[in-house]
Amino acid sequence: MRLTGLLGFITVMWVMILAITAFLINFVAPIDFVLFRNGLDRLIISLMQASIAIIIIMILVWGLNKMKKIYMQKKLQL
Amino acid sequence: MLDLSFGNNILIYGVIVSAISFLVTLIATPKMIRSLIAQGSVVQDYHKPGKPDVPRPAGPVLLGGIAAAEIVLYFLTLDMTIMAIMLTTVIAFIVGFIDDRKVLPGWFKPAALITAAIPLIIFGAHGTNLNLIFGNAFIPLLYVPLIVVIIPIVGNTINSIDVLNGVVTRFVIITTMPLLVSIAIFGDNEVFLAALPLLFGTIALYQYHKFPSKVFVGDSGTLVMGSMYGAVAIAGNSEIIGVIALLPAVMNSFLFLASVKKIVEHRQVKVRPTVMRSDFKLAASKEKNAPITLVRLILAEGPLSEKEIGYYISNLAVFSSLLALISIFIQYYFLSGGI
Repeated sequence: MRLTGLLGFITVMWVMILAITAFLINFVAPIDFVLFRNGLDRLIISLMQASIAIIIIMILVWGLNKMKKIYMQKKLQL
Repeated sequence: MLDLSFGNNILIYGVIVSAISFLVTLIATPKMIRSLIAQGSVVQDYHKPGKPDVPRPAGPVLLGGIAAAEIVLYFLTLDMTIMAIMLTTVIAFIVGFIDDRKVLPGWFKPAALITAAIPLIIFGAHGTNLNLIFGNAFIPLLYVPLIVVIIPIVGNTINSIDVLNGVVTRFVIITTMPLLVSIAIFGDNEVFLAALPLLFGTIALYQYHKFPSKVFVGDSGTLVMGSMYGAVAIAGNSEIIGVIALLPAVMNSFLFLASVKKIVEHRQVKVRPTVMRSDFKLAASKEKNAPITLVRLILAEGPLSEKEIGYYISNLAVFSSLLALISIFIQYYFLSGGI
């Protein structure tokens, strides 16, 4: 099957998105209540949440880059 | 969730806007093709024997079909969200049209598309909660920068999948289906109705863009589709579902950027990712510094004709749309208090 590898790649990307959204919902969204008991300014909380989300997305991109390199070596011998 | 109660006219309005966008695009495209040929606005189709001239761009006619439907819908509903979606699409069209006329640096499109996000912010078309499959996050402050990022990314992502005859239009048709389902569940009547012209206008344009293309959509056409896709996803609370449906195009953009390592206009890339054989089949480039693209990966296992490659990309779009539908199901389960 010509598309097997690509379908696998897309599936892994999807699973990574689900994992990130689960992390954001369970750990990042309630950060103001869990860590600071609603004691911090809304703007500061938002900046912290944004920073964590950006770091997570950077980790996702890094992970995808690693995956891409392995996939390329296998498919295109690059 | 859609309100299907008797008296809110969603079915009638839906039929009206779908018919307008479909018929205007279908009827106006042949006229546009003749006009483009008369003006000499043609480019060579390098993947066909004899490299025939094909008129470009079809963006104005697609915008015409969509805008006509959106204006009628606005006067029927007087909802400013519809105006915001239309203005975003119009600004993206202008950016694409400039790029169609002049080869501009790679950074131009993403930077200029930031302006297309402004109507969504000014008219308050966005919500304050971002649906994240397993729940939603209340992000009233973060939503604005997110919109500024989403519109250029989706516009350029759709633009990057415009690789061969009929591919981008068929891709948008397929991936708009789960988006519409998501908007029907997590959005409202007005945004659902506003999204219909994207589907039906693109279906009409596909009749002329499918293999062998009678017209190319151009950057103006791809940015109309991409920015409108992003705009209705934002207004319809379906951002993540939209990203999942677009995964093959996201992957294509990511692979290209990761291999070229800078934002560059694809026409300015010196080494092509594919090579044309004497039998007019495409093969993956063996050059180490050639960009890595979705088409190159599809061709890694052997040469294919242009039509066959389009078929494989459509299969990937169907697959990602199924993943988007599964995600909608999961999101509905969690948001409706399933656990």
